[in-house]
Amino acid sequence: MAKWGMVIDLDKCTGCQACTTACAMENDTLPGESWQDVLFYNEGEYPSAQMKWLPRPCMQCEDPSCVHVCPTRATYKDEDAGGIVFVDWNKCIGCKYCMIACPYGVRFFADEQPLVEPDIRDTYPGENGQMWSPPYQNPEQDWRRGIGIQPKGVVSKCTFCYHKVSKAPEGVADLDEDDPELKEYVPACVRTCAPKARFFGDLDNPESNVNRLIADKKGARLLDHTGNRPQVYYLGAGASIPAFRPRES
Amino acid sequence: MNILQTLITRRRFLQATSAAGAATAMGYGALRGLAPVRESAAQEPASMEGETRITKNICHQCPARCGIDVYTRNGRVHAIYGDTGNPIANGKLCPKGHLGTYLLYDPDRFEGPMKRTNPNKGRNEDPEFVPITWEEAFDIVAERLNRLRENGESHRFAHFYGRGWGSSDAGMYGDFGKLYGTPNSAIGHASICAEGSKRAKEATDGNNSYNAYDYRNCNYILNFGASFLEAFRPYNYLMQMWGHMRVKSPQTRITSIDVRMNPTMAASDRYHMIKPGTDGAMALAIAHVILTEGLWDKEFVGDFEDGENRFRTGETIDADVFEERWTHGIADWWNEELKDRTPEWAEEITTIPASDMQRIAREFATTKPAIALMERGPTAHFNGTYNGMAIHALNALAGSMFAEGGLFYQMGPSYGPLPVSADDYMDDYAKDMEGKHPRIDMAGTDKWPMAGTMMQETAKHHLAGDPYKLDTAMFFVTNPIWSAPDPILWEEALKDVFIIDTSPYPGETAMYADIIMPEHTYLERLQDSPTYPFEGWPMSALRVPAVDPVYDTKHFGDMLIEIGKRIDGPMSEYYAELGDVENMLRHRAAGFADDPGDNGVNDFESWKEKGVWYKKPYHWRYWRGQFWEWDGDDYTIEMSEPEVKDKLMPTGSGKFEFKSSFLEEHAGYIAEEMGIPEDKAGIIQWVEPRHTGGGDLHFVTPKLPLKAEGRSANLPQAQAYMQPIVGGQGTVFLEVHPRTAHERGISDGDTVRLSAQVRGEQKSITAVARLMPSHRPDTLVLPHEYGHWAQGRWATANGRHAKPGNSGELTENLSDPISGLASYYTSKVTLERA
Repeated sequence: MAKWGMVIDLDKCTGCQACTTACAMENDTLPGESWQDVLFYNEGEYPSAQMKWLPRPCMQCEDPSCVHVCPTRATYKDEDAGGIVFVDWNKCIGCKYCMIACPYGVRFFADEQPLVEPDIRDTYPGENGQMWSPPYQNPEQDWRRGIGIQPKGVVSKCTFCYHKVSKAPEGVADLDEDDPELKEYVPACVRTCAPKARFFGDLDNPESNVNRLIADKKGARLLDHTGNRPQVYYLGAGASIPAFRPRES
Repeated sequence: MNILQTLITRRRFLQATSAAGAATAMGYGALRGLAPVRESAAQEPASMEGETRITKNICHQCPARCGIDVYTRNGRVHAIYGDTGNPIANGKLCPKGHLGTYLLYDPDRFEGPMKRTNPNKGRNEDPEFVPITWEEAFDIVAERLNRLRENGESHRFAHFYGRGWGSSDAGMYGDFGKLYGTPNSAIGHASICAEGSKRAKEATDGNNSYNAYDYRNCNYILNFGASFLEAFRPYNYLMQMWGHMRVKSPQTRITSIDVRMNPTMAASDRYHMIKPGTDGAMALAIAHVILTEGLWDKEFVGDFEDGENRFRTGETIDADVFEERWTHGIADWWNEELKDRTPEWAEEITTIPASDMQRIAREFATTKPAIALMERGPTAHFNGTYNGMAIHALNALAGSMFAEGGLFYQMGPSYGPLPVSADDYMDDYAKDMEGKHPRIDMAGTDKWPMAGTMMQETAKHHLAGDPYKLDTAMFFVTNPIWSAPDPILWEEALKDVFIIDTSPYPGETAMYADIIMPEHTYLERLQDSPTYPFEGWPMSALRVPAVDPVYDTKHFGDMLIEIGKRIDGPMSEYYAELGDVENMLRHRAAGFADDPGDNGVNDFESWKEKGVWYKKPYHWRYWRGQFWEWDGDDYTIEMSEPEVKDKLMPTGSGKFEFKSSFLEEHAGYIAEEMGIPEDKAGIIQWVEPRHTGGGDLHFVTPKLPLKAEGRSANLPQAQAYMQPIVGGQGTVFLEVHPRTAHERGISDGDTVRLSAQVRGEQKSITAVARLMPSHRPDTLVLPHEYGHWAQGRWATANGRHAKPGNSGELTENLSDPISGLASYYTSKVTLERA
């Protein structure tokens, strides 16, 4: 089985957030439940200020801290599914321990006050146990892996679009959206990325393009000192998150 | 144990709701696309069964026309991705593209045709719409139009449109106006869009058009106020090219000039934040350096006869000693303007250091192919056309016109003719009306002789009854009561006009409508769309309906046909012959039979299947001092000067003009309106901007990447991501430099009031301030996004999601006298705590 990895080249990323909306629509997340967010940072002052951004999916850590803390074993790392970290919505009790343990802030509990009002869940009330039921839904549903629209009271997260990736031909080294035979198996964020800043492939295959890119451009993993060992690598300048500073008022 | 308690409760809840789900499966629940819950899987909804079908379409959320694959199962759209076979999309999309399903299933859509029953119109008047049938709607409109015709007043009917797509909607206006007898079919929106860059190009190289660009092969981009990574078009394709340019060898070097921090600036190799309205001064200084340092493209521009450079700061040259090649007027340009336009002079005006301008000039002229591009930023000012001409002139100096890695113009598709010709169906009345009355906006008259359209003037003219009062107006993809400069005046003007609005959605203009004729959303439409200027070679995409219309809506083209059929006289026969939009498109596609596309599209059916017809390559190329035409295999046919004039640079001289014959033809008008001496009107020159509003701070109102063709204020997903710079929390903010804020006692998060003089009155809007040290201290930034009062539940939300006001309300209706482009970015406002 492949070990799926993602490579994000920050020298090519334009901060457009197409990854964010492609993910939101593919996975029917609520406005603001951004499994694939892009964070913007502004530093310095006119006329020499800088602005940078960091697209942030779930890192699908090799040693995920979220899995260690889950009291019901709802969140788990599936080595047979490319090493993707899933939440089993049949087991999740919404305690949010995993959200606190995650060093990357990529887990979501969407039951609270909506980001945008009026609450879209009032427009499309949940049916069949779903938290909300919009008229446009991805036909794929798999609550054991946190795919589809979640029930109330559970944590959600990026699944590397497992419902797509899992159908890829066995043994493929890279899922390149420019290959018409493969594009349907590519995670939504990678598939739509216009400047082609994202790549998806098998980290266990030394011949894969993702490993070549990591080698050529000295791929780095975020917060590597935590020991989580992400399966997401960043290339290029700017792969750092500035320390939190309260906004000047 | 609370946790255990929650667990049990939730499982019970699931069992209970799954039973309820099964019970409703035959009713509305099934309509919503959820599979019935089977007993064996009572704990979760199963994946929806059925086949997914993919139909071709193009996105409607900006002008770019990206091809999309629309994924539909059981009659429900569930995904949108870029079409791999579409040369603009190449399988990719921008952030807006994916949100199209929201636009289809927008819960605030109009559900069918309606008429107004409350005769009073105003922001606080409920139109009291009642449903009517389409027949009634068409009859009401046709009766009105027939009566106007009987009274000899058909010119008092006007069409207005925003985004026209092709021959099956906006392309039908010309014949409608001709047959019916109105000069106002149609008033386009270009003058509140980006007309300035088109006019700057018309005035220099003779093409009244946006450019096509060869980004793939260019090595340098000097970008003036075209927000390349936000709102320039085609945005999706530009990002693809950005990714390419940043890794190709050699890497394309990108310098961006804008008035505010934005992603394009941040991602460029170098940025400079220029004082609003002064880009032309910087471009002139760059031209000055290129000439004084001998860096111009001598094969395109020509050279001094002995090769000695006589361009010396402050000194004139003898025109006779410069042998000009493909340009016109360089000696006059230098002697009358450029010789004194030093970087030091421009530093005073632009606030950009002279040394940086010098460095940019050297880089630009020596890193070829190089493109100088610009859009609305530099041109949405009083001096916009001259600013744009100064920037575009750099392309001539670098030899980039029609060159590989440079810029050129767009070819049209090989369409077949319509089955009928409008000329054969004009009655005497229609013939008599031709040229009898000016347009309501006075475009093309002595008032605006160089403007193609002046939509923003309509409200004023109607209120004054000069040239006449409108009687009836029909709107298509445009909402001037919100989007025009000084929209408040439109609220007054449209009160006594019979309004037909065709938007599928509620909006401010729709709230003034007497008849609502909702059109299909784009995922429900059959519609053609020749490309905007892109890579030059011809292309035309087709929208194919992905689903049956969700509501009782119609295609706009079919609405025109149905109204036309009801007009007395031969006009009705013309539209009866035309039939419907599908018939029209079949005739258009017949033209592909003799000119099959590169993807094999040769008729209507294959067009529907592939979603696009295109034919590479572009037919002309400039190379080393000569222009060459494509012979079918290569660019081998050398073009004569008359051929270049005819096909590529249709100016008076047939050359790229630094001294514009187009402007010289209107020298008297320019002298009167702009105070420029008549004998200097044609020279590309620095003209001071005329800022409006009377305040002390520049006010710019950019479009963000998620601005979904005017609908994003009612798209909750778009609002959630409305960053950068400082949105992303369900709104946008007034971005202000901390020093500017502190001087006014304003802290981050404060509600602030912005005020400006409009029509001599003090107007104000409010917004929440966000301190942004990146911006110029003299410039405020408020994205043009909100301030809607009638778009739908999210756009008009109150409480903690109250949105900032409409920046247009602080925008004086002042236009560039040459292009007619409204000066959206030229207001100066005052700022205070609210």
